[in-house]
Amino acid sequence: MKPLNYAMLKYFTTVEDACVDDVMDALRADYGHFKAFERNSMISAIMTAEANGLLEETRFEMCKDAGLKVYYCAPEEGAATINYYIKD
Amino acid sequence: MSEVVLQSREAILAKRKLDASFRTKGILIALLSAVFYGLYTGFLTLGMAKGVWADWYGANTAGLSAFVVTYFLGAVGSAVNDSFSAIWALSLATVRGRIGDFFRCLKTKPGLVMVLAALIGGPLATTAYVVGLQLAGSIVVPISALCPAIGAILGRILFKQELNARMMLGIAICFLASFMIASTSLGGEAPEGQFLGICIAFIAALGWGFEGCVCGYGTSMIDSEIAITIRQTTSALSTLFIFIPIMAVLSGSFDSLGLVVEAFTSSDALPWFVLGGLSAYLTFMFWYRGNGMCGAALGMSCNGTFSFWGPFGCWIILGVFAGIDGWSMPPIAWAAAVLMIVGIFTVAMNPLDLFKQKEEV
Repeated sequence: MKPLNYAMLKYFTTVEDACVDDVMDALRADYGHFKAFERNSMISAIMTAEANGLLEETRFEMCKDAGLKVYYCAPEEGAATINYYIKD
Repeated sequence: MSEVVLQSREAILAKRKLDASFRTKGILIALLSAVFYGLYTGFLTLGMAKGVWADWYGANTAGLSAFVVTYFLGAVGSAVNDSFSAIWALSLATVRGRIGDFFRCLKTKPGLVMVLAALIGGPLATTAYVVGLQLAGSIVVPISALCPAIGAILGRILFKQELNARMMLGIAICFLASFMIASTSLGGEAPEGQFLGICIAFIAALGWGFEGCVCGYGTSMIDSEIAITIRQTTSALSTLFIFIPIMAVLSGSFDSLGLVVEAFTSSDALPWFVLGGLSAYLTFMFWYRGNGMCGAALGMSCNGTFSFWGPFGCWIILGVFAGIDGWSMPPIAWAAAVLMIVGIFTVAMNPLDLFKQKEEV
C-alpha cells in the first residue's frame, strides 16, 4: 500500500483530469479510513503539488451541491517526475 | 454526478478566493515558522542555563575542558532538543493518524531524499555553523542569513521555480535586514582562521538553503507532518549516535559521553527542552510547508525573519519571563523588522499589481 499523498499523485497520472471529489471517490475503498482522508487537507495537498509543477489546473466550475470544483491534470513533465519518484 | 449550474462570474470569484486564500495561508505558515524559531531558540537557551547546564557553563565544578564546553555541550543540547522534538513528532503523527504513512514513506525515494536533506541541514549544517562561529566569531551570523538566497537559487536550478529580478531584490533587502541585526553582535576582533571559519559557515548556509528548498519541494509528495517526523527523527538519531561519539573522540575521552546521560536527567532543565522540542517541531514543519506552498524564494524569505524573531524570542523568554539580564532587543532590530516586511512584499508581489487589481475591480 502506498502513502495517501503518493496514491493521490499517481491517480492523476492515470486520468485526463480530475477534481478532489473524483480523487476521493477513486481512493475511498483503500484510504477512506485514514484520518488524513479529509477534503480540505486533500485540496491543500493537490494545490501544493500544483504550486510545485507536478500538477496543472485544467478548468473549474461551480456546482449546486459541491460548490467550486477545480480540475487538475498531471502534465507530461509532472507525470514523469511523479513516476520517477513514486513506483507502482 | 453533480449538476453544473454556473460557469460564471460566481465561479471565477470563488476560484480567485481559493487561490488568494491558499497563497495567504502559505505566507502566514512561512512567517509562523520564523516566530516558532524564536520560541525554539528562547526555550533551548533557557534550558541550557538551568540544572547541570548552569554548572557546566558557570562554575564548571566538573572541570570540563575548553573543547567540551565550547563544542561538545552545544551538540549535547542539540541532541536533547531534537530527541524531544522527535518524540513530539512521532506522538503527534500517531494521534493524527499519520504514523503508518511515516513508515511507508521511509522506504521510498522521496523519503530517502528527505533523510539526506535532514542530515545535510541538521547535524552537518549545524556543526559547520558552530565550528564557523568558533573560528571566525560573530561575522558568521550574517553569512548564515544567506540561506534564503541560496534556497531560492537552488529552487530555480533544481525545480525550475520562479526567480526574477524583483524577487532577487526582495531577498537582498531581507539579507540586508538580517545583517543589520547581526551587526549589533559583531566584534572588532579578527581571529586567526577567520577566512576558513567564514568558508565553513557558508557550508552551513548552503546546507540550510538545500534543506529548505528540497524539503519544501518534497512536501508536494510527502505530507508535511510526515516530512517533519522524518526530519526530526533523522536529526535526533544521527546527532546522538554519529555526531556526539565523533565529538567524544575529538575531545580525547569517551568520559564526556556521561554528560549526555546527565543532560537527559537534569529535571530543572528538561521542561524547557520539552517546550523547545515542540517549538522546533512546529518551526521546521511550517518551514517545509510554507516553502512547498509559496516556493523557495518567498517561503524562505518569510522564514528568514527568524533573524528578528530569534532575538525577540530570547528577549521575551529569557529577559521578560525568566528575568535574566542582558537579553534586551536593540532598537536596530525593530528597524530591521520593518525592512524585512518591505523585502518580503517585494519577493511576494509586484507593487504595480495593486493598481492593476484596483482597475480590474
